[in-house]
Amino acid sequence: MLLIKDSMTREVVVLSPQATAGEALALCREKRIRHLPVVEDDRLVGIVSDRDLRSATPALGDPDRAEALGRILVPEVMARDVSTALPDDPVEVAANVMREKKIGCLPVVEDDRLVGIITSSDVMGALVQLMGAHEPGSRLVVSMPDRPGTLAGAAGIFGELGINLVSTVSGPRQEPPPGEQGPWRAAIFRIDTINPTEAIEILERAGYAVLWPPGP
Amino acid sequence: MSGRAAVVHDLALEAYGFGGDHPFNPLRIRMTLELCEALGLLEDHTFVVSERATVEDLTTVHSLTYVRLVQKAGGGVGDPWDLAHYGLGTGDNPIFPAMHEACARVVGEVLEACRMVMRGDVTHAMCVSGGLHHAMRSRASGFCVYNDAGVAIARLKEEHPGIRVAYVDTDAHHGDGVQWIFYDDPDVLTVSMHESGRYLFPGTGGVEERGRDGGTGYSVNVPLEPFTDDESFISCFEAVVPEVLRSFEPDLILSQNGCDAHALDPLSHLSATTRLYEHIPHRVHHLAHELCEGRWVATGGGGYDIWRVVPRAWTALWAALSHQVLPEKVPEDWLALRSAQSPVELPRFMRDDPAVYLPTEHAAQIASRNCRTTEQVLEKVLPLIR
Repeated sequence: MLLIKDSMTREVVVLSPQATAGEALALCREKRIRHLPVVEDDRLVGIVSDRDLRSATPALGDPDRAEALGRILVPEVMARDVSTALPDDPVEVAANVMREKKIGCLPVVEDDRLVGIITSSDVMGALVQLMGAHEPGSRLVVSMPDRPGTLAGAAGIFGELGINLVSTVSGPRQEPPPGEQGPWRAAIFRIDTINPTEAIEILERAGYAVLWPPGP
Repeated sequence: MSGRAAVVHDLALEAYGFGGDHPFNPLRIRMTLELCEALGLLEDHTFVVSERATVEDLTTVHSLTYVRLVQKAGGGVGDPWDLAHYGLGTGDNPIFPAMHEACARVVGEVLEACRMVMRGDVTHAMCVSGGLHHAMRSRASGFCVYNDAGVAIARLKEEHPGIRVAYVDTDAHHGDGVQWIFYDDPDVLTVSMHESGRYLFPGTGGVEERGRDGGTGYSVNVPLEPFTDDESFISCFEAVVPEVLRSFEPDLILSQNGCDAHALDPLSHLSATTRLYEHIPHRVHHLAHELCEGRWVATGGGGYDIWRVVPRAWTALWAALSHQVLPEKVPEDWLALRSAQSPVELPRFMRDDPAVYLPTEHAAQIASRNCRTTEQVLEKVLPLIR
């Protein structure tokens, strides 16, 4: 679950090193994509973005543009030192690489072969899946002491009430609420109910702090 | 404005409820009609009764597997895990005896209300038991088993080829079930105004949900910030609903009048009052006369402060629909009838006192965010409607 191979696009639009800048730009427009891996003998040799192509060619309206688009070959423009990902890596690894390097996509490579591509919008799709935002549910934010059993205790309360969990995510440690000791941690529950009132009452009686929704 | 109005109701409709202290309590329907009666608003009106919806009616939008499962569950048959997969037997949608019959009855009444209006028997019809807008094709959700508006619209489309229906949903929760049923259909415009799904059930209903394929532009969503008050709700409603309905030119308006956006409602975080529930039906009524010779069917929906809010809100709906003036006071007869049973003090006036519901400290910020949302709708969705 939530591996790169679950979120990546498998049908990758690629270029050969013989392609011209004009062909590459036309392909970006036609397929409405921004990144094109360059492949030679099934091996990834570089990547080019529509931005790289635009900045390497004369602007729209420039009389030299048509000639340049036909003359410049993709290898003159592409990045050769390409960050890649493995299909079995968790999706957050890809997210972290893209964030740190400030790039929008990673070609996915297995045994030197290009098998897919993962973009920032694929990562966002994975986030939506993770949060269960595609299934009906109410979102509860619950803070609890950071110690064994507290998360299970909250989940158990939903179970007792016959409420199914659509998704559960727990966040980093945080300051305790006023009057409490030690580190606390907040969790987000998406629960399959239109009526979380009773669950909220029981959670609060049991010492959990429900940060959202607000009480009556 | 003129035209005859009808209430479609049958005591059998009150079987649609989940029992015990479940918030979806059919008592709210009973108390609404009692209040209308006590105010004299039902004189010269008889209740219209109809048949249950048939399995053929229901399968216009529901899968046969699901309908069969509901039938069996109501008879006490079915594997609990299998049922849970279809949203049945959960905390929200517990199984109750003869649930298929009760739920099919609600659908049948809303269908009959629509047919009466299309035949011209009456101009406007109200069925407060209807409005079960969360029910999905093969899944019960949010207290809703069968989707009455979905089935009624699907049947009308068969009976009147080419008909254009505008569905206007002002329940505090997104009208997801109806939206998904007609998501790719340009002949059914769904408009839902609701508390933002960022936190509230069902979680959907963002502006970017605007339909698919040929139906792109025909799903309109106006998600409102938590704690939105009358002023902001009404100004968003005025900015969006008349415009999109005029662009669409419906043959019938079907409105879902859930009243759970009220400040007292325990299941949402909006801050409306009875002012909203007088404004909306009056406006929809005007639009029906302006755009489709008055053809308007109104259903109920959510509303979980069943003592202080629901009876007054839906009495205001009936008054607007039947061209009657809403009286000022809650009649003593009705108070005497229900006070002893009510866990809260019942209001004495039909309209909330604005001095009790003062704007919150963030009202201006909330209103300006809502205003931006309506601008997005007008910019990105309205132009797609033809």
